[in-house]
Amino acid sequence: MMFSRVFAFCTLFLVFCPPAYSLSVHGFLEGAAGVRLAENPSQSKDFTMGEGRLQIELSQDGPLDSRLYLKGDLDVDGVGERGDADLREFYLDHSPLSFLDLRLGRQIVTWGTGDLIFVNDLFPKDFNSFFIGRNLEYLKVGSDAAKLSIYPGHFSLDLVAMPRFTPSEVPDGERLSFFNPFASRLSASGERLSARKPAFTLGNTEFAARLYRNFGSYEAALYGFRGFFKEPVGMDPVQGALFYPKLSTFGSSLRGPFLGGIGSLEFGYYDSREDGAGTNPLIENSSMKYLFGYERELRTDFTVRAQYFLEQMLDYDGYRANLPTGAPEKSELRHLLFLRVTQFLRYQTLQLSFVGFYSPSDEDGMVNPEVSYKISDRWSVTSGVNLFFGKKDATQFGQLTRDDNLYLRLRAGF
Amino acid sequence: MRTLFVTASIVASLFLSSVSYGLGAEEVIKKSQAAFLYPGKDFKARVLMKLISKDGQERIRELTMLRKNYGEPGEDQKYFIYFHQPADVRDMTFLVWKYPRKDSDRWLFIPAIKLVKRIAANDKRSSFVGSDFSYEDVSGRSIDEDTHALLREEKYEGKDVLVIKSVPKAPESVDFGYKLSWIDKGSFVPWKEEYFDKRGILSKVFSANEVKPVQGFMTIMKRTMRNVQSGHRTEVVYSDVKYNQGFPDSLFSERSLKSLPREIAR
Repeated sequence: MMFSRVFAFCTLFLVFCPPAYSLSVHGFLEGAAGVRLAENPSQSKDFTMGEGRLQIELSQDGPLDSRLYLKGDLDVDGVGERGDADLREFYLDHSPLSFLDLRLGRQIVTWGTGDLIFVNDLFPKDFNSFFIGRNLEYLKVGSDAAKLSIYPGHFSLDLVAMPRFTPSEVPDGERLSFFNPFASRLSASGERLSARKPAFTLGNTEFAARLYRNFGSYEAALYGFRGFFKEPVGMDPVQGALFYPKLSTFGSSLRGPFLGGIGSLEFGYYDSREDGAGTNPLIENSSMKYLFGYERELRTDFTVRAQYFLEQMLDYDGYRANLPTGAPEKSELRHLLFLRVTQFLRYQTLQLSFVGFYSPSDEDGMVNPEVSYKISDRWSVTSGVNLFFGKKDATQFGQLTRDDNLYLRLRAGF
Repeated sequence: MRTLFVTASIVASLFLSSVSYGLGAEEVIKKSQAAFLYPGKDFKARVLMKLISKDGQERIRELTMLRKNYGEPGEDQKYFIYFHQPADVRDMTFLVWKYPRKDSDRWLFIPAIKLVKRIAANDKRSSFVGSDFSYEDVSGRSIDEDTHALLREEKYEGKDVLVIKSVPKAPESVDFGYKLSWIDKGSFVPWKEEYFDKRGILSKVFSANEVKPVQGFMTIMKRTMRNVQSGHRTEVVYSDVKYNQGFPDSLFSERSLKSLPREIAR
């Protein structure tokens, strides 16, 4: 239904666009499979992924520097046992003034300095895709938004308004286990928790802003966001459902050359507006988040990136005093270490990489070694494993310890 | 006596003409870089790279490159690159702010996730997009990183050239031991460059295969870098070359990375 409307719109745009403007058509065909490496009693299938996917990308230049862009996927999913059409991006670009860019429609927005760790990027993500080994592009999900970018000279400003809430995809029992906070245990077979989205009303429009500029080789940015948590971190025990509480954030970042590599700092203050006092154990507390990153090419085609992420819960005493007995207790400070090592070989056609997360405070983490080979300009093959570990079921990676997987993807681009 | 004097003066003038050809080796390299990495205030070209393996397998990199100079030849430059193909890099953009005396700033935009990534750029010898050219081969190596010596003058494919040997001052910072350049005495075209590895064995050979004037600037339209040890080579062809287009500074910014400027046709 959605697709037919989109194609009707595209046809109109094409008909009214003089032939002088160019249309480009690209995409890929991909097959991907993932097998479970661990016993998971809550899952009936031995596969985490078994899908064929066709992606089509259309770009049509229009008058007055405008451009219509569409990226859509058609996929057949053997694990979910369904076929699906996914409109990943569909937007119109227009620059009405020399210092102004407008982007209207479904779009992916990314900002901040983190690698797989996000502080001020409050745009929706699909963590499930990352955990089962889909291509990195599926980590980000489009938002239905209007984006205004202003470039008056010495600084730049991005303003994003998102009238329709799009949540992040988190483990929900379909492919990956989740910790059920109502029952204080890992999900059972077929168990799902419903998550209530904010109503589609004008008052619930989300706003995000970034003000940034360069100081020589250093990039500085200020961020602001007003909307909702993208993960369902609120519990409604009456309805037995999760929800997305109100959230405002403020933050800043700095990135530039440091000790022969690139260093970055990012800070964010999360104001959990429905739990101002921090005493409601059913809603995530306010917090401060700090991210330090450092990346360096140690030798030719061999790069190492390390990150340290610290999350400090505010109103910790209020949280502890009101925590129901038996509920898993979070620590006040959550430390997370990240390492990425990348080696290119054979004229950068062969890439070996390792990604690791480890949290000393949650005592959990994951590792993801991966091999990727570009067989030709058209064909590429990628394989890797995702291994999760953790001592407690309630932590981010601890809930996934039964979901270790090995994946393989083969792609032909056009 | 007179014969002797004439002979002596002829010998002396010949000797002097070669020595007093006027330019020191460093000056020749400087002029060569000015002529081939800095001509015009700015520059644009469509670049087709063919990466050819020993067994003949070919990969393509097609890109549009924009360059703008800041200051005199040898000083700062900014580069903006847009990739047309292959599929896995199409629509990627790449921005380099190059400084002769410190590490370049490099940004890569990955369109699939709309991510502007900062690239650690301390290794200038790493391969440019998987080709036989290093970043330095594309944007130039700082002249004062090597000591240059004029070895001889000779004919190279019928042209008068100066042969210059360049030895890195910090050998541990590079992957080659020394370099020989065959530089045209008139136009300063580097017709050929030979890179020798640290054992003194020939490793890479650069050659300028077609040179022609564009808007009055001699331009290498076709060039090859051949790795003689691995048998891999990269052939590069420039087309749509334009100089002095008056590119604004704003073109070399994060804005251009994310939304392609009109100066580049997709």
